[in-house]
Parts: sequence; structure tokens; C-alpha cells
Amino acid sequence: MRGIRSLTILLTVFVIVTLAACGPTTETSEEGSPEPEIKDLILSTTTSTQDSGLLDELIPIFEEQTGYLVKTIAVGTGKALEMASLGEADVLLVHAPEAEKEVEAAGDVINRKLVMHNDFILVGPANDPVGLQELETASEAFEALFENESGFVTRGDDSGTDKMEKGIWADLGLKPNGDWYIDAGSGMADTLKIASEKGAYTLTDRGTYLALRDTLDLEILFEGDPILLNIYHVMQVNPEKFEHINAEGAAAFVDFMVAAETQEIIGEFGVDKFGLPLFFPDAGKEDQYDL
Amino acid sequence: MDFIGQGFIKALQLLLSGDKEVYSIALLTIKVSGTATLISLILGVPMGLYFAVARFRGREFMVGAVNAGMGLPPTVVGLWVALFFWRRGPLGFLGLMYTPAAMVIAQTIIALPLVAGLTMSAVQQLSPKLRLQILALGASPLQFWWLILHEVRLGVLAAVMAGFGRVIAEVGASMAVGGNVRWYSRVLTTSIVLEVNKGNFSLALALSFILLFISYGVTYWLTVLQQRRRQV
Amino acid sequence: MTPLLAVKDIVVRRGRRFCLKIDEFCVRPQEVVALIGPNGAGKSTLLTTLACLTPPDSGTVFFGSEKVTKKNALTVRRKLAVVFQEPLLLDNTVLENTVLGLRLRGQKQGAEDKARIWLKRFGVDHLAGQNALTLSGGEAQRASLARAFALEPKVLLLDEPFASIDVISRTALIDEFKSVLESTGTTAVLVTHDFYEVQALASRTVVLDQGTIQAEGTPAEIAVHKTWGGLSKGVSATTITNRVDGSRL
Repeated sequence: MRGIRSLTILLTVFVIVTLAACGPTTETSEEGSPEPEIKDLILSTTTSTQDSGLLDELIPIFEEQTGYLVKTIAVGTGKALEMASLGEADVLLVHAPEAEKEVEAAGDVINRKLVMHNDFILVGPANDPVGLQELETASEAFEALFENESGFVTRGDDSGTDKMEKGIWADLGLKPNGDWYIDAGSGMADTLKIASEKGAYTLTDRGTYLALRDTLDLEILFEGDPILLNIYHVMQVNPEKFEHINAEGAAAFVDFMVAAETQEIIGEFGVDKFGLPLFFPDAGKEDQYDL
Repeated sequence: MDFIGQGFIKALQLLLSGDKEVYSIALLTIKVSGTATLISLILGVPMGLYFAVARFRGREFMVGAVNAGMGLPPTVVGLWVALFFWRRGPLGFLGLMYTPAAMVIAQTIIALPLVAGLTMSAVQQLSPKLRLQILALGASPLQFWWLILHEVRLGVLAAVMAGFGRVIAEVGASMAVGGNVRWYSRVLTTSIVLEVNKGNFSLALALSFILLFISYGVTYWLTVLQQRRRQV
Repeated sequence: MTPLLAVKDIVVRRGRRFCLKIDEFCVRPQEVVALIGPNGAGKSTLLTTLACLTPPDSGTVFFGSEKVTKKNALTVRRKLAVVFQEPLLLDNTVLENTVLGLRLRGQKQGAEDKARIWLKRFGVDHLAGQNALTLSGGEAQRASLARAFALEPKVLLLDEPFASIDVISRTALIDEFKSVLESTGTTAVLVTHDFYEVQALASRTVVLDQGTIQAEGTPAEIAVHKTWGGLSKGVSATTITNRVDGSRL
């Protein structure tokens, strides 16, 4: 009957594990922090925001100040906005102003506020076969990429970056396709990796590029056009439209993101690692961008 | 090759230096997948025994469902469980979305058909006459099931290994219903995806080695249990 | 004398086909009944019906004067023992296998000793500690017989227990088995294809074909009368095969 005994041991161990797993998870509840009515706060954001590591710095501060447990769900911009439209999130931090305005107009989100920006850059092989470095505007740069057909990798994942890129092509009336236009269907890091391997160009946010620069054979070949700004807004999901929304927590998060101390942290983030900031705090500068 | 070596060394460093976050992620991984495996063991083994032996209306349908379920893609399970647990979903009031509990439920759904199916096939490999012989020895219904279970215990252990191996390695369902929330519902596979996205390939590689250590460790332990029996 | 085990008006169907249709059959104390007949005659079905393992579609099985029902089937089964053609030992030691039936009946004291006695009686006590699945066919069937006798059954039911054992060990085992049967006075029902077994062991022979009883008598009578078609047509001296439907041999 020793086999049965082994099974019994196995069961016992698993039972202990279960009990341990079902026990309270205390890791997140710091002592002394205030206890809000609804603890969970679902923050829907884009993968690129999470990947930058900025949230890992900001969220713990917010949690300690307010006592909320922030569940950061990092998805593509499209999905993040969809979560707001379905009432499946409490608060959003995204960077697709045009799409955001639509959701706001539909009454799904309220209290939308400008937080910060970083910018998009065009990167490519050091020898720059298309000659982007001599060009003045983003429109010229994209036209040159289209005519040269020397290789461009697109995210193809409906993310904010992807939407930005597709928007530029559309504004220029160009329909990129063919072997030179490579659809990665991946996140920014993988897309950069593919561009590096293939010696192709791609549009990227500065933060991800800086973080990966050492592993890539890519240089910054075009930057600085105002249309390449990546603008982040925070907004709360309309609690009057959906049930179960943590409105207080969402409002607190919006306030937190635009607070002076937070803005200072944002402005310094990345400086110690890359020598340059990854984000530029913008709270209160709504007029500047006409958004 | 250098890269892989570095990843391996980094994995050891993370484990030996007692990195708090890595340990909490690894621990949650074991808890979630272990619990899911346990629940599917408790539900799946009786199911497998029953489906293999009993004759009842709808049996073919159930057996077919179990066999098809063995190949269920985790992403699909994640999607379905998420649909149920969303705030507007039929079970939204439970507030389980983006919790480890939801991950356990999703992983249980992934492992259950595997445990039930492998148990069933282990029983079906026994001679049908053996069941008559066990009854003929004077077994009560309870004793009968116990003896059948004892007879297929090696197959059950194999089913447990397969189930645990599958859920600890899945990422789609954990991502969809757990949300990969730091310090809360982040497990090894979801953090590997995150680190790859961030471009931290060496950290991702290190985490993948830790995943392999755990998965191998548990499977090795189960194998020892399984094989020790054989020597009698 | 009340029969130990009996069936009355039983019908067993497989799908729409009759598999067994017997008005009356009984086993009396101390006798050894041989059930013979071609393959598919219903011998094994009758045996599992007698063993209360498969309930008949209609009709009654009696244990003594008691009707066997769903309720008391387990109690009755625990007074019987069955040995099949395959040893059907479980994945455990030989001793554990032999003692299992007693354990299932809740016996603790002396159960192992009893099992050892019977293993010794069948010459396999030296294998007691070994895993039963490692035994040779002959050894395993000896253990299987020991397991049955350890239960001291009121009726021992055997389904071709010697058929898969090689010829040389078979004769020896049949002789040992015979002496055990005689010394214990065990009542038995034996399904067989082998004339030698019938001659050596049976006190009564029952011929089954197509699910019904065709003839019955002492082994000698059955052999002489050749009531059963299969016996008359030049079948080899020791093996009765299914010549009736001409489907095999």
C-alpha cells in the first residue's frame, strides 16, 4: 500500500499549498496607510507605459499615500480604451489623443488631464541609406521611406505607436505595402529587435529605444517634429455610466498624476540610467498642444 | 551561447541573493499552479475513473469533451473566464477579475481535462476482467474505486505531472484574468513576457531558468514518487 | 438437500441476442460441476451470473434459499471466490494480493498467516514478498488460486483456470488442485475446454450450447453418450472445441 501512501503525501502537500495560497496576501497592504472603501483600482494603460518602468516607480508612492491597491493592466491602446468603453477599468493612462477624444465625447471617460509627453523618433541603420538625417519634417521623412522602399518595420498591433505611424501614412495619402514594409505584430522591443536584425527603419518611442540602445544596431536618424510627440493623458471612467466603478480612487489617481511632486518625479525618471529624461512633465499645459 | 550562459548565471544570482520580487513571483507561481493542479486532481481523478468504468447516457459526449479539452488553448480559456468575471459578466459581482483566484480557476479549467483524460486512459488500459476480479474478491463499491485508483496510481501521477507542467507553463490565461499586476498577480510566465517586451532579455532568460528549475523540481519529485513504487 | 447456489429462469441478453437462457441449474454441496461447450455457448456468462458479478436481465439467482438481490449481492459475493483464466493479480506484493480478499472483508487477525499457508500449499510462498506483476504465468495462477482458497469460499467458481498455463506445469497444477479440492471438500464450478480436467476433477458435467443446457450427467456418461454434437466428430482426444458452428479450429 506504499503507492497509496505516496499519493496521500502528495495530497497533503497540495492541501498545505492551497491553504497557503488561499490565505490573505499581505504583501501589498502597508501598515499605517489609510483604508479606502473600495480598495481595488484598475488602471488600464498601454504596454509601452508599463515597459518604460515609470509606473513601477509611481504606483507604490500612490498606494502608500492613499491605501488603494492599483491593478495595472497593460494592454494595447485600442484595448485600453475599449476597457473604458466597457466599464472594465476605473482609470486610464494612455497616449492616443484623437481616440481619447472620441471616448470622451461618448461620455465614457471624464476628468481627462494632460500628464506628460515623450516623443517618437525614427531609427534605422547607421549608414542611413534613405538619408533621413538631411530632412526637415516628418512628412518628408516618411515620403522618403515610402519611395526608397529600403525596409520599414511596423508594430502592426494597433498600439498608440502603431496608430501614430498609420496616421502619418494616411495624412500623406500613402498606402505602404510590399516586401519592404514588414508587419511585426509585436511590442516595441521586439519590433526594434526585428528592425535591427533586418537593417530596416522603424518608428519608436524614445524611452524604449534608449533602454535597448546597447543591444541594437540602430541610430536615431530623425527627431524633433512636433507631430511626433507622444502625449499622455490620465482620465477616469465615467462612474455615472457604469456600475462598480471605483470613482473615488480614480479621481485620486488623476489628482496624483498631475500633482507637482509626481510631475517632478516624472521629469527625473530615466536621468540616472540614460543621462536623459524619458518623459517631459506637462500637467497644466493643455493650451500648448491644443488638446 | 554567451547570452544563455549569462542568463543562467543571472538566474542563480537572483535566487541566491534572495531577490524579494523574484521570490514572490516564483512563490505565487507555485501557489497558483499548485492549487489549480490540486483542484483538478480532486475533481479530475474521480471523473476519469467514472468515465472509464461506468456506462451512462451521454458518456460518449462527456468523454469527447474531456478529450477535446486536453488541447484547449490557454488563451481561449482566459478569454472565456474573463468574459464571465468582467464587471458586466454573469459572475462579475464576485469581484474576481485580476486576482490570483481567477488565475487558479482558469488554470484549473486548463488542467482538469488533462488529469481526467489521462486518468481515464490509464483505467482503460487495465484488463476489463480485472474489474470483475476485484468485485469477485468481495470489494464494496468504495473498496472497488479505491483498488482501481491504487492500480492506476502511476498513471494518475503522470496525469498530475502533465497537468502541473501545462499550467505552470501557460501564459495566455494568466495574463488575461490575472492582469500581470506587480506584487499581486504576476507569475513567472507573465513576467517573462513583460521583460521581453521591455527588452530585458537577460532578465527574461533568468526568469525562464527559474521556471525550468521549479517545473523540473516538481516533476522530478513526482517521478521519484512514481518510480519508487516500481522497485517493490 | 438445498443447493448451495442456483439459478432459476434466468435470461441474459447481449443486445437483442440471447446469450443465456436457463430454466434451472444448481450447485449442490461438495460437488464439482464442469461446464463444457463451444465458445460462445454461455459458459462464462453463467459463471459470472452465479458469482453475482453480472445480474441477469430476468430470473433469479439463489444462494442457499436466499434470493440474491442488489442489496445482498455483496454479502453473497463475499462467500464465493472466482478464478479467471488470467491470474488478474494487482500491482502489489504476492502476499498483499493473497490477503486482499480477507482485508476487504475486514479480517485483520491471522489474515496474513492464512494467506501464507495457502501460498505454501500452492508452492509459491517463496515469492510472497515479490511484486505480483513480475511472476511467470504459472506462478501467478498459483498465487491466484491461493488467493481464492484463502477466502474459504462456499463455492469456488473457476473460468478455464488452467488454459493459459503450459502443458507440463498444467498437469502438475491440476493434480495439486485436485488434492486441495478433495481435502477441503470445496464445492466448485469449473468452466473448461479440456477433457482431462473434466475427467480428473468433475463429479458432474453440464453441456451448454447457444446459451441453454443441452445435456448433463457424470463425466463418463457425457463422454459415452456423445449427446453433444461436438464430441462425436473426431475431435482430438483431450480438447473439446467449438466444432458445432464450425467457426473455429
